[in-house]
Amino acid sequence: MKRILSVLLAIVILSVGLTACAASENANNTALASQSASEAAPQSEIKPETQPETQPVPQSGKDEKSDKVVVYSAGPGGLSAGIAEAFEEETGIKVELLQATSGKILSKLEAEKENPVADVVVLATWSAAIGLKEAGMLQAYPEARNKEKLYPEFLDQDSQIFGYSASALGITYNTNLVKNPGKDWNDYTGADWTGKVSLPDPSLSGSCMDFISGYICNCGDEGWQFFNDLKSNEASVDGANKASLETVLTGSKSAVLMGVDYMAYSAKAKGEPVDIVYPTSGTVVNPRGAMILKSSQNVENARLFIDFLLSDKAQDLVKKAYIIPGRSDIKCDNRANMDEISLLKYDWPTMMSNQTQIIEKFASIFQ
Amino acid sequence: MSVLIRAIKKHIKIEQIAVLTLLTVLVAAPIFQILSRSMYDGHSFDVMAPFRIILEGNLIKPIMNTLILGFCVVIGAGVVALPLAFITAKTEIGKHKWLDLVILVPFMTPPYIGSMAWILFLQPNGFFNQLLPKISGQEQLFFSFFGLVMIMSLHLFPFIYLIIKNALENISGNLDEAAVVHGASSTYKLIRITMPLLFSAFILGSLLVFVKAIGEFGTPVTFGRRIGFNVLTTEIHRYVSSWPISLSRATSLSYFLLFTCILIWCIQSIFSKKLSYQTVNGKGMARIKKSLSKPQKIISYFYIGLILTISVGIPYFSILATSLIKLRGYGLQKGNFTLEHYLTLFKTGSSSAEAFLTSLKIAILSASICVLIGILVALIVTNHSGKLSKLIDLLSLLPNSVPTIVLVIGLILFWNAKWHMIPIYNTFWMIVVTYVTFFIPYAVQYIKSALSQISKSLQSAGKICGGSSFYNFRKIMLPLMMPGIIAGWTMTFTIAFRELVGAIMILPPGMQTSSTYIFNQFEQGEASKGMAMAVVSVLITITILMLLNIFVDKRVNDGR
Repeated sequence: MKRILSVLLAIVILSVGLTACAASENANNTALASQSASEAAPQSEIKPETQPETQPVPQSGKDEKSDKVVVYSAGPGGLSAGIAEAFEEETGIKVELLQATSGKILSKLEAEKENPVADVVVLATWSAAIGLKEAGMLQAYPEARNKEKLYPEFLDQDSQIFGYSASALGITYNTNLVKNPGKDWNDYTGADWTGKVSLPDPSLSGSCMDFISGYICNCGDEGWQFFNDLKSNEASVDGANKASLETVLTGSKSAVLMGVDYMAYSAKAKGEPVDIVYPTSGTVVNPRGAMILKSSQNVENARLFIDFLLSDKAQDLVKKAYIIPGRSDIKCDNRANMDEISLLKYDWPTMMSNQTQIIEKFASIFQ
Repeated sequence: MSVLIRAIKKHIKIEQIAVLTLLTVLVAAPIFQILSRSMYDGHSFDVMAPFRIILEGNLIKPIMNTLILGFCVVIGAGVVALPLAFITAKTEIGKHKWLDLVILVPFMTPPYIGSMAWILFLQPNGFFNQLLPKISGQEQLFFSFFGLVMIMSLHLFPFIYLIIKNALENISGNLDEAAVVHGASSTYKLIRITMPLLFSAFILGSLLVFVKAIGEFGTPVTFGRRIGFNVLTTEIHRYVSSWPISLSRATSLSYFLLFTCILIWCIQSIFSKKLSYQTVNGKGMARIKKSLSKPQKIISYFYIGLILTISVGIPYFSILATSLIKLRGYGLQKGNFTLEHYLTLFKTGSSSAEAFLTSLKIAILSASICVLIGILVALIVTNHSGKLSKLIDLLSLLPNSVPTIVLVIGLILFWNAKWHMIPIYNTFWMIVVTYVTFFIPYAVQYIKSALSQISKSLQSAGKICGGSSFYNFRKIMLPLMMPGIIAGWTMTFTIAFRELVGAIMILPPGMQTSSTYIFNQFEQGEASKGMAMAVVSVLITITILMLLNIFVDKRVNDGR
């Protein structure tokens, strides 16, 4: 009798749970059915939407005159907080800011997909931004102020992603340990550098990931020779950008390849013994995209926030954080400008289509 | 009808139903979301999908690595913890109460900070080389599998230590005396009396450590990746944090960890039934603290000193040094020290002070709720046998088996669902719920371990003397359970104060905890500031635990 009753109770509870979950799955399915997707990406769960949204469609404009905007922003911490503060000061709109790495923001967006929270998302990697766009999660804002002043490659053609700033990948070295830094990537596969090179981990650093796909895009499959050589030269993979830079700051390694430049500049400005060179054969410049989610509940405020990102004030804050301003009319005196950095030949669609294989190949080399 | 109701009342206790419902909402529902998500690849359901992903992926190596790591860490932690627990529980050295707190320090340190500290100490040109410039080559020994196991064992050994120590203290000296009277040698005593009595506690502790080790992310990602040692959690993390994000892949991989955990739980519950002994039976308890001869004392103190040096001394040397250094590039040099990083933490209106308060509130709330649930679960599991309490037992352990990053996704999917009726997502309470879900296993294990030693005859005695069941619980069971409850609260509080992965994912925009503050400093800001914050966090944790200890001691003394 007892056993029967326990089983009964368990069934009741489970069935309640199941129906609840089934309800959620139904909601998922209907949501998907309404998405007019024709192609299913086999690797990713996010379905690409084929026709880009050219018109700004405020989805649920019930809250147009709200007094807040929810921003998910990838670092650097000081900059996003500074911009949010300046925006609050200027407009009186409250910014609810979530600072995290691009990866954490992406997984949070994915987990919240059924019931999204964010209005504006700022990611540190362009490829992830394009990914969100292809998944149909963004809305356009063609009227963005100052958008014509952005570098052309910092704005996507449908006005959905605004590269309000950018970082370039370079070679950061410890000036106490290194007197003659190598001028190009391949210099670091030589005997002088055995065991002295650190690389960021592409599975933790989106910008490093983008560099590797850009490099392969530029060199083709022969590009892998470079990474094989690095591995046999005892280069080590030391975590995200900052962790990799740490090894050079503390003198455990002599140089970081493929690290973001602004961290090096700000360390140098503090007086740390580091400096940065941009390789002669070229590198990848990674625009940091700001975008409005299609599901945004505070569209008006989100647009004001984008306008603010492209304003003189915010661009000045960007400059002060040693990051490349997205607007081509603003020049830096504390770091290399866009025209002083030579670029590899790469295009984002090719890079993105190969990204999964590339990261796996890289992981298999550096295992 | 009334017959049925009476039958239900008789056989299924209302508290069982209540706890089961609670655990279903807190634990089962989010895990169910994870499982269903892995079978749902965006457009259709496929029950076999997760298994295909596991088979297709090149996962043999990470899986083997995970298991080997878990196994070695259990051994490592056991080797460190057992002698230590024996010394503090059974000898006069145990009078130093502060030892227990210091031993907990490694556990208060976030795992990635602990690994960073070790790396900073032993890397080429690290602090070790700066202090002893003549010695080199230490990095070859350290940057290896051995180093990984060492770091993780030193981080996790407090789990086994606390549980064993509580069990040891409950073994009556009478048993030892009886053995001595019958002429047993001390080795015989150890093997035939102490060890069997400890076995179930040891299994519980090892289980916690094993499960924690295979689900650990901080150390494998900061240290393991450098030596090319990939485990499942690092693979899982890759799928949820780099484009293209694939939740279904991540959730599929966590199946393996989930099933391993369920398997271990089954084995454990078979063993502990056979091998658990009730040592607290109300007969006079002679808690003998053995006095030691001089050489024994020296050896004991030396051992404690050694363990504390490597588990607390070295990491905290690195952490303190880093938090005090002005420019990282110049290392330990005269004139390169500053208190600036600490001062910025306490500037008025700074986000760090607010982060502390948030962490504190969350940790206290979630530890207290966890302990309440823990008491209920432990009482049910030990007092009722039957399928239902087995299920409750399993559910209360499950959160530990899923990597936090996956569990937190389950929690978001569940609590942020459109149909959800409790609108706490993106509020402070969501963090509390998340932490409670995460840490139920700790509270339950500690309280269960304490409770399983208390003989049922004590309750019967209370009943015979006419005490109501509530009175009996309050006056008999609760005081006896108190050490377990305190240990459970302490562990939960400590771990909640430093929890990171869950916090990053679940914190509402605009809110920070001290752990996310530290992490952000490491990611984008200044490592020195992060280290300073870590030092202050640990100091705060220690202070609170110390106050708690003093308070409890006073209560116990007043009671006598």
